[in-house]
Amino acid sequence: MSKLQRGINSFIEQIDGPIATFFTSCVHCGLCADACLFYTETQDPKYTPIHKLLPLRRIWQQEYTFWGKLMFRLGLSKPVTDAELAAWEPLVYDSCTLCGRCSLACPVGNDIVYMVRKMREGMVASGHAPEGLKGATQRAIGLGSPMGVNLNTVMTHIRNTEKETGLSVPLDKEGADYMMVLSSAEIAEYSEVFSAVTRIFHQAGVSWTMASDGFEGTNSGIQIGSSDLAAELLWRIVRAAERLKVKYVISPECGHAYTALRWEGPNLIGRPYNFQVIHITELLDQLRSEGRLRTEGLDETRMTFHDPCQMVRRGGVVEQPRNLLHMVAPNFVEMPDSGIQNWCCGGGGGVSANERAEPLRLKVFSRKKAQLDAIGVDTIVTACSNCRSMLLDGLEHNNMSVNVVGLTELIAEHLAPAAK
Amino acid sequence: MKDHDTLEHRLTEQGISRRAFLKFCAAMASLMALPPGSATAVAAALAQAKRPSVIWLSFQECTGCTESLTRSHSPTLESLIFDMISLDYHHTLQAASGFAAEKSRDDAMKAYYGKYLLLVDGSIPTKDGGVYSTIAGRSNLDLLQEAAKGAAAIVAVGTCAAFGGIPMAKPNPTGAMAVSDLIKDKPIINISGCPPIPVVITGVLAHYLTFGELPALDELGRPKAFYGETIHDRCYRRPFYDQGKFAKTFDDEGARNGWCLYELGCKGPTTHNACATTKWNGGTGFPIEAGHGCIGCSEPNFWDAGSFYTPLPAPTAEVTTVAGIAAVAGAGAAVALSALDRAKKKHMQQTHEKLTVKDLHD
Repeated sequence: MSKLQRGINSFIEQIDGPIATFFTSCVHCGLCADACLFYTETQDPKYTPIHKLLPLRRIWQQEYTFWGKLMFRLGLSKPVTDAELAAWEPLVYDSCTLCGRCSLACPVGNDIVYMVRKMREGMVASGHAPEGLKGATQRAIGLGSPMGVNLNTVMTHIRNTEKETGLSVPLDKEGADYMMVLSSAEIAEYSEVFSAVTRIFHQAGVSWTMASDGFEGTNSGIQIGSSDLAAELLWRIVRAAERLKVKYVISPECGHAYTALRWEGPNLIGRPYNFQVIHITELLDQLRSEGRLRTEGLDETRMTFHDPCQMVRRGGVVEQPRNLLHMVAPNFVEMPDSGIQNWCCGGGGGVSANERAEPLRLKVFSRKKAQLDAIGVDTIVTACSNCRSMLLDGLEHNNMSVNVVGLTELIAEHLAPAAK
Repeated sequence: MKDHDTLEHRLTEQGISRRAFLKFCAAMASLMALPPGSATAVAAALAQAKRPSVIWLSFQECTGCTESLTRSHSPTLESLIFDMISLDYHHTLQAASGFAAEKSRDDAMKAYYGKYLLLVDGSIPTKDGGVYSTIAGRSNLDLLQEAAKGAAAIVAVGTCAAFGGIPMAKPNPTGAMAVSDLIKDKPIINISGCPPIPVVITGVLAHYLTFGELPALDELGRPKAFYGETIHDRCYRRPFYDQGKFAKTFDDEGARNGWCLYELGCKGPTTHNACATTKWNGGTGFPIEAGHGCIGCSEPNFWDAGSFYTPLPAPTAEVTTVAGIAAVAGAGAAVALSALDRAKKKHMQQTHEKLTVKDLHD
């Protein structure tokens, strides 16, 4: 079977009731264009979200609709070709961060991002996925992490953390309540998260552990759009959690790790979990409300919060980070469109792993810049390490001097001293 | 006609504020079902609009259409808009008479050849050389053909001009015909109704001034924005129809309770017009609110379609059986087709080759 045929078979397999309903319901109003930062910042109509799905739409018509089948048989509807999929690859991968803002804008309720995610299944099966994302996925499957970090890297951080804090970092502790998973960006670049969670969990008396065979939450399979590969990566966490008999798995500050673990997970592995998934921000807010998380001192700098798309739009985690920020940041301000309608940093959905997309993602950062320019802050806090890297890149590209910090670390910096 | 006078300037002179003008534009945009943003476009275009020349010809008619337009809402912004076109000829409204009146029409037709709007009310008698209605010694047919030549577009105001109307009712002694039966080479817009709703006339004119073209029309040449739905669709008594509550006579309990007038011959279900939404007499009400069924005056041949008090025909049992069989057959076909579709999807799932990291190489 040719790669193209394999891709088309995958499209046919992916098209389901919701997709048929969405394509049927689409009224071609174009409102999704103004919801997508790739359109608003370039004004190029090819970035209209629903347009990115054109080949999928045609296959749906040709395979599943009466008139489409008829026109296809009569030669009036052209078959989807390799060249066409190659032309669509940058639209489906480089100019979509799976941020889901278009799905909120659609007046007839079409979940457009759901369809882009499904379309990627056929794109990757037909061989039309970006090289950068292929490389990241290969590293994730082969080495254990898209950024090439491995257990040795993690062990080094654990030893350093234990030395620095004087606290032990539990590893492979059976029967712990919570299993902490991290993102590769945290392990590789923002390793201060190790000591942050160690100190917070110590103060709050949380029974937790890390797993030597399930520490990496980033799921490149979701980003490249292959459920087969996504499931393979996810199984590592599921097996580790069930081996250690934990009650909860903590999703790290990483948008697509959260989506993979929390929302796609059971469908990917084909059965329910024997544990629950909670985002680190949700857990910290829960500890706060129970009085187990106490902070001291305030950070007087003017601060704002960048809502990671997967957290707000998929998970509805909007209030929790604000509750936490209000503990330590008296000069907290909201940027325009914050919360559910926040604009993507431009690097989600595998775009930041795709070198070819770099000029485009830096260009569309103008939207985030405008949001920041409107409020003039010194510090931007976020709860996704991928957003954090993209924000740093974008700010540097625009010569803006704004600090970027992770929410968990910010809270850890202000932990009440009695517990330090 | 003062060419330099823009509409906005004239309105200011007459004490109409810009705010009132914008409200009118927004109302027009929504009446015509234009996108929300177009209210400003309407305002901009109308404000700068030069008064186009309009020639209004009245043929076999009762002047009810003119009455509807000039008296029912007067004076409102709508009638002022009407002032803002250059009405160069209108029997009833013009001050001039006799030779001076006819000269004014001739002058306008020459000066604005190819640009003026021709409004017609009344049907045109064609039998016996059109002798049944003449003006200044010339037949209506002659006048229409002459005026139509130089018109940019023709607006047939009222059911007589649009569809022949009462003069065309059996036995049609004068051989009355509609404008569209006689003129084939000009865009014609039918604003039917006996009489038509004033805002429909002003709405069409506003559309023409704004966009320079006529609005979207239905298969009978009527603007869809106003004739797109039936009276029945928008009737405030529709819930009673849906509940099967009907007035049986004009003085029974059902009539007093304001139930549906379907069984008393209301033609709402087959009549396309905007009465139920825009209403009459400055928004006071429409016939059904006064307790009488719709007579269907905006539809062709309404005068020969039987008694106004005979209920519309209901589907017979046979139709129901046929429809039932068709529905079952259609559902059966749909089930068969969707089973095929499901089998196809399942086949793809079964033959799915698992994607491995090796597939990402090359």
